[in-house]
Amino acid sequence: MLEFDGLHKSFGDNHVLDGVGFTVAPGSMFGFCGSNGAGKTTAMRIAMGLLRADAGEVRWRGAPLDQETRRRIGYMPEERGLYPKMKVGEQVTYFARLHGLDAGAAARAADEWIGRLGLAGRRGDPVEKLSLGNQQRVQLAAALVSRPEVLILDEPFSGLDPVGVDSLAEGLLEQARHGVPVVFSSHQLDLVERLCDSVGILARGRMVATGTVQELRRREGGRLLRVVVPDAGQGWAAALPGVRVVSERAGDTLLELSDGADDQSVLAAAVRTGRVTHFAWREPSLVELFREVVAVPTEDVAA
Amino acid sequence: MTAPRTPGSGELVRLVAGREISTRIRDKTFLISSGVILLVVLGAMVFQAVVASRANNVTVAVVGDASTLKPALVAQGHVVGADVTVRTLADEAAARRALAAGDVDGALLDGTGSSPRLLVERSPDSTLTATVKGAVSQVAVGRQLAAAGIDGLHVPEVGVTAIDPGGDPTGERTGIAVIGIIVLYTLLILISQFVAQGVVEEKSTRVVELLLSTMKPWQLLAGKVIGLGLLGLAQIVAIAVVGVTGALVFDLVSLPGQLIGTVLSVVAWFVLGYAFYASLFAAAASLVSRQEDLAGVITPMSMVLVVGFFVALQAASNPTGSLATITSFMPGLSPLVMPVRVAAGGAGWLDVVLAVVIQLVAIALVVRLGGRIYAGALLRTSGKTKLREALRADRV
Repeated sequence: MLEFDGLHKSFGDNHVLDGVGFTVAPGSMFGFCGSNGAGKTTAMRIAMGLLRADAGEVRWRGAPLDQETRRRIGYMPEERGLYPKMKVGEQVTYFARLHGLDAGAAARAADEWIGRLGLAGRRGDPVEKLSLGNQQRVQLAAALVSRPEVLILDEPFSGLDPVGVDSLAEGLLEQARHGVPVVFSSHQLDLVERLCDSVGILARGRMVATGTVQELRRREGGRLLRVVVPDAGQGWAAALPGVRVVSERAGDTLLELSDGADDQSVLAAAVRTGRVTHFAWREPSLVELFREVVAVPTEDVAA
Repeated sequence: MTAPRTPGSGELVRLVAGREISTRIRDKTFLISSGVILLVVLGAMVFQAVVASRANNVTVAVVGDASTLKPALVAQGHVVGADVTVRTLADEAAARRALAAGDVDGALLDGTGSSPRLLVERSPDSTLTATVKGAVSQVAVGRQLAAAGIDGLHVPEVGVTAIDPGGDPTGERTGIAVIGIIVLYTLLILISQFVAQGVVEEKSTRVVELLLSTMKPWQLLAGKVIGLGLLGLAQIVAIAVVGVTGALVFDLVSLPGQLIGTVLSVVAWFVLGYAFYASLFAAAASLVSRQEDLAGVITPMSMVLVVGFFVALQAASNPTGSLATITSFMPGLSPLVMPVRVAAGGAGWLDVVLAVVIQLVAIALVVRLGGRIYAGALLRTSGKTKLREALRADRV
């Protein structure tokens, strides 16, 4: 288990992290979401030992991360960092060696990853001659080359074209299949929804929602039922017990059911009005969930 | 595939140092500057050799009978320290032709007559004039004494006994030290700049974040400083070897032992100076995030180096003056001034020991403080970091 536990961090008066915690199981992918400046990068930098937490710790297999365990983490910083004039092959080999591979193994691993990421022909080119997308691949190769036990990636998808996104996603899924816990932050929520087993949403220094996308939907999305009854008269559902009409337009009705309300009685009422063309629990997208949990409470706005 | 091990500090420092060396050794700036320094040193020696050989050789043409003048010219040349070659020419026209062709340095007309004249191409060389005047008057005095009937005159020969058979090596040693200081100064500036540029490169490209997730700031700093330092040391040793070999081959020095001693002391002072300046430059460079801002923070320290260099040149002529004496103990200036003072005979071994100790203490302080600044400022990749912020930043 990779555990982020109760992280607090302030820069001056600015409380960036206020008790952030979540766990990532081996072999699962964790999507770390939050608005700009929510503290995702700060949390990841603390995990990598680049910042010191005011309180809390990050553990891997039950032990707090230190210099030695961090060497077994593949890391991709938000702001990409490579030596511009160093050749692709040498650069990836160098990072492999810093992670503890000996010279021969480092060279072999670098060759392998450069090949797998489709850069075999660019091995001898300085990084600065590569396109941004290809530089991103070198960055990923640098993170993966040491066969890390854990991957922590800050915005790995930003700046990639759709093909690049797909190949990176495939690469990360493969790592997860091999039992590596993968944490990545992203603004591309559709991507997070598609790839991640679990999601954490960070807002104002707190985890406002964590869990699988399914759990989040159930918990945060409320119980919204969409019923389309073209022949029904206006207000057909108003009198049903435990049901609140959220919206109603020409038979397209959105209902919020209280916990005890019975969806089958709603269906029966709908059938009584005539044809029922749609009857389903509404699945909010991650984007909607995100908006809902990240939205600044009204009193904060007034304050 | 072998499992990754945990590299120790030594290995990480070696890896960083290795990268610095392999990157710089292929860098055009480094290669060109190394070549230029070597060429300058070689050129200076060839120049010295040519000048030395020219100054010591004087060719005088004598028009007419040279039988009495020739031995007098050679003897007189010996007195002023020149090897005199005498050529006999038939007339003035031939002498003018030889002068114009550069075959002779001067031509003596009517050397034994009443109005001797020395023809030269442009301006008379002092060695030449002294030789010719001396010889002419010697011959004239001899002839007049003979005419007056005084013959077989006994002129006692002055015996010369050297109390220090090595002669006076101070001047030569000082010259070597000054050349050494020029090389030392150039390399200190060059390699310390490399350190500073490397620090900013890692900051500006943000690669430092990736590096620091695998090692501690001091390991990165040590690797960088040691790697580039070894490169600088290799360069100064190469220059020293070429210089010493050249000096011996061209026979430019009278005392090879003194030469080697002075060169070794310059190399040793390079190590002390480099450790000091590299740490300072690295700490200063870590405060900025862009190469454009680098000049602003390293100029004050470059100025110290420039001042040290000029004081060292001054110390060559006045090694016991208060300026040279005080600066030869000041950390940062001592590596430039002390070797010159020692060579010029203005300082004893006790002074050297004291200066080395002071410099070592200063290095220890600078490494500690500089390391703290470096560690505190390294991850602040936006804009310029204030010194106080860097010292207060939490280090991880």
